[in-house]
Parts: sequence; C-alpha cells; structure tokens
Amino acid sequence: MTMLCVDSIRPALEGAIASLIATTDTDGIPNVSMISQVHYVDPERVALSYQFFNKTRANLLATRRAIVQVMDPDTLAQYRLSLHYEETRTDGPLFESMKAKLSGIASHHGVSDVFRLLGSDVFRVEAIEAVPGPVRQRPAPPRAMVAAARRSFEAMSACAELDELFDCVTLCMEREFGIRWSMVLVAEGDTGRFYTVSSRGYPTSGVGAEVGAGEGVIGVAAAFDTPIRIGHMTRDYRYGETVRDAARETGVLAADPRRIPFPGLGAPRSQVAIPVRSEGHVAAVLFAEDDTILRFGYGEEDALVLIATHLGLLMAKLTGAEDDTAEVTPFAGGPEAAGRLELRYFAFDQSVFLGNEYLIKGVAGAILWRLLTEHHATGRTEFTTRELRIDPALRVVSHSENIDARLILLRKRLEERCTCLRIERVGRGRIRLVVARGLDLQEPGDGKSVA
Amino acid sequence: MSAGGTRGRPPSAAVSSELVAFVQSGCGVGLASAATDGTAVVGVGLGCRVRPGGVFRILVVRAPNSAFLDAVRRGAPVAVTFTATRNHESYQVKADRAELCDAASDDQPEIDRQQLLFRDGMVEIGYSPAQAEGYAPCDPNDLVAVEFVPARVFTQTPGPGAGAEVTR
Repeated sequence: MTMLCVDSIRPALEGAIASLIATTDTDGIPNVSMISQVHYVDPERVALSYQFFNKTRANLLATRRAIVQVMDPDTLAQYRLSLHYEETRTDGPLFESMKAKLSGIASHHGVSDVFRLLGSDVFRVEAIEAVPGPVRQRPAPPRAMVAAARRSFEAMSACAELDELFDCVTLCMEREFGIRWSMVLVAEGDTGRFYTVSSRGYPTSGVGAEVGAGEGVIGVAAAFDTPIRIGHMTRDYRYGETVRDAARETGVLAADPRRIPFPGLGAPRSQVAIPVRSEGHVAAVLFAEDDTILRFGYGEEDALVLIATHLGLLMAKLTGAEDDTAEVTPFAGGPEAAGRLELRYFAFDQSVFLGNEYLIKGVAGAILWRLLTEHHATGRTEFTTRELRIDPALRVVSHSENIDARLILLRKRLEERCTCLRIERVGRGRIRLVVARGLDLQEPGDGKSVA
Repeated sequence: MSAGGTRGRPPSAAVSSELVAFVQSGCGVGLASAATDGTAVVGVGLGCRVRPGGVFRILVVRAPNSAFLDAVRRGAPVAVTFTATRNHESYQVKADRAELCDAASDDQPEIDRQQLLFRDGMVEIGYSPAQAEGYAPCDPNDLVAVEFVPARVFTQTPGPGAGAEVTR
C-alpha cells in the first residue's frame, strides 16, 4: 500500500471545496466547523487560515491538535489529516499567499466583508488517512509539466537578446502550457513598480503599462518574493486600472494622458504571478491569467517557478552585455520623408509626446530625448548602452535599473506608435536611432524649442 | 445497539422551531467526537431528521465514518455543524452523548430529499454535480442513525459572532 504524504494529496489542498476541521478542548468536548483553506506549505506541513478567534482556535492553542477532512475536486477522494500545531505567521510569503487565495475564495462566496486573514496557522501533518468511499480516476493531465518546462528551457536558452528572451517566455507559456494570456513585467529600479515588456494574447500589447508597488497579484508577488495564485478572482487583487477606468467613466477622475492601459483581461477568474529573481533581487514578474476558475494549480505554479528561475539567470547573462571594442560607425540613413516629426519633452516626469499623443515617460522617455537631441545637434545615430547607463542626466540612480529592458520598452513603443522613428540593435550594447523625417523638438516646461 | 439514555432528556431551550426547520433543509453536516486519547475525530453526515421530543437523528454512512461511530459507541460527546450551502448560515449543536440506531425504512426518502437540496445548493454556488454528490456519498446499504438531544446550540455562521452560544 502506498503511504500518503502531503505532496501526494496537493490537489485536495487547493481550497476548491470547503474542508472540515474538528478539535477538542482540554475536557475532550469536540468542536467541528468548516474551514476555508488548508494550504500546502511543504512535504510535512500545511497551514490553516486563522480568521476569527473562536472555539476552534481556542482549542488549537490549548491542545495543539486538530483533524481536518479535505476533498480532491477531481477524483472526489477524501482525506483526513491529523495535525499538530507549530506556529502562527502573521506576515511574510506564506501569509501573503494565503491572504490572496482567501480573498479570492471569500469573494467567490460573497463574504469578502467577513473573511480577513489574521494569521497562517502552521501544522505538522502527523498522519493522512484516505476516507473509504467512491474515487474517480484522475483526468489525464493535458500536458507533462516537466517536459513542457524542459522544452521551454531549451527555447529560452537559444535566445541571444533580452527582447527575444521576453517574447520567448510568453510564447512558451502558450505553446507549452496552453496559457493564453501572459505578460513579463520588469522592475522599475527600486521603486517597487513594474512595467510590461512583453505580453501575449491581448488585443493590445500594453507594452509600457505599469503596475504600482504592491498592486494586485503582481505587486504582492514582487513585494514578498513569493508566487501568488488566485483561483477565484477578487476585487481586492484587481489592478487599479480597472478601478480607475470605472472612476473615469463616472467622471470621478480625469483621463490621465500619460498612461498606457494595462492590457489584462477585463474579467479574469484565475491569476498567477511568479517573481523572477536575478542578481539578488526581484528583477521581473511572470504573470498569467485566465477566464476560468481554478485554471492554475500547484503543477502550473511549480513549472512557472522553474521558468522564472531560468528567466532570471538568462536575464543576468544577457543584461548589460556590451561590446565596447567595436567602433561606432556613422549611419548615413535613408532619404527623409516629407513633413516633420513634432516631439515634446516634459522634464518633470521625463515624458515624451509625439504631437499630442503620449509616447513614453520615465527613464525610457529620458533616453529617447537624449538620443533625439544629440542626433539633432550632431547628426549622430549610433549609441552604446554603456554611455546611457552612466549619463547622470538620465537619472539612472539605481544599480538595479535595467537599461536594456528600458530600451526594449522604448523600441516596442516606437514600433507601435510611430513609423518614422525607430531604434534598432546593431550589436551587443549598441543601438541605432533611425529618423525618417526632420525633427521638431520642444521642451515646453523650459519654454524653449530645440529646433 | 443503543448507547442509552439520550432520548429521555428534555431538549435544549435553544432548539427553536426555526433551527428544527433549518437542520432539515438540506444542509452540509459535519460531525465530530473524541477518540480515546482525547483527540478529535471527524465525519460527514447525510442529513438530519428531528423526532418528537427534540431528538436529532443524523443519518451517517458507516464505512467512511467508523472512527466517529466508534466514539459514539463508547459514549463520547458529539458535535454536529449544519451549514446552508447558499448563504453559509451555520449552527453547531453539542450533546454529552449520542445513541447509535439502525436506519429505518422511512429515513431514506427524507435523506434523499435533503441530499437533493444540498446538491442543488452546491451546484448553485459553483460546484459540479459530481463534486456535490462526492462530498457526502450515500450508500443506502450501509446507513446508521446517530440520535441525541442537543444540550447546547452555537451560531457558526462565518463572522466575528461565530461561536456564540444560542441561549433561547
């Protein structure tokens, strides 16, 4: 007979079906209630959600023992876990992961106002018993996760450039894991904010769209450096974008012209965000969502963590790879088209407008303006990422600022918004500015016109 | 088969007519008692009938609930939680002891009715019919009744007031 372990019953710990918990007090008087979450911690531990101080909790603290009954939503197999209480965690990755999942469960059941996580009660699992009863055969998984991860690794390792790598990740998520909607977001220095550098499945790319610090599953995953997965989507983890859209529609907020709309689904029902660590910090976040409930399970989470780990290593390898030995060669450029490109720069937020249309802001905006003004003044077309990295005017104050990712964002925005202006890679750490029209550069904030 | 004595007690004043109706409305039924070492045992019931005199009669499938039934047989105290699927309204009743009784021929139609309501409620809140049926699988050939008169009643509906005793 196969010994049951916590790993072997993980599908029953998804919170898909409410569980039962029974305890006794010191006099042996039993108590039984429903519990929202029995959360997988490690091969020997689970955590239960502590939401109220009630009889169950009083019994747990007094006797340190409980028994829970959980059910696998696919096979309908039920298990009883004999538990020994170890500790309560009120912050950190486990707490945040459970808080996000509980919020989704509460929202799904219409009890968001009363379901708030106060702590994660961690228990050692002393025994697991299979409850006698009908058990269905588990549906065949649509794919072998390890094989899918292996193929993704191979495809990612073949990428020679960072932008190619980001697009490869979202491609692999669809091709190898059947994930229709996904994004890669890169850290905006040490601000806690993230901006989109690659997306797949959405009507608009949303490249450049930002997620605020701690906002939604992406912000929480990054802030606590832990995967966050929600199977029943909840307002609590929606992006400010959705809230702001509603506010704008009702006239509460004026439209923000310096905003790239977040490309996410309007009504997602499952989301997962995986932090990508590179060179000692969370450098990016891998994000996926779906319009069905419980789309991402433990298997998908494990596989995406592997993908994110590999992505972090490859980002470190491809970021900042510069070839200073090659000489900058002048580029004659093609014939200029008729008409002029009117570009305006606002120094206070480093934003660049093409005519009246917002193009880019922040470090990427400052880089673009530097390239444009120098090209306008000297005719220069080729630049190195190294000179951009050390230019004090660009306000690249953080060592974790990823100039290469900013250039990817800038290149993709120009491709989407402007046919007369583009940036090309011409070698390791070298870019070329291609301008197809005459430039009319203005800095309204300073009351001056460059040309 | 009787563990004796439970049905002769007066029902708790907290067992109102509303509670009697609630527990027979197709709730999820969670069971608990205590093992010989004092630790809890847990089980799942199919439904509840309330007999004259305020006797609660919980129908239970033997095989998956053997530990709970062993505890009842030994005279251990019992706790039973009834939870409405649609709105999570919940009550817990407790008794010092319970009796094991054979299932009767008239139990089955009533349990079928309650199970149908329970499964409809589960499906209504998003579970598949198979999941709803699998939560408390019924084996008509392996049924037993657990009877007791509740001594105490507690509200169990999720929220800050959960666990408060109902006194009347």
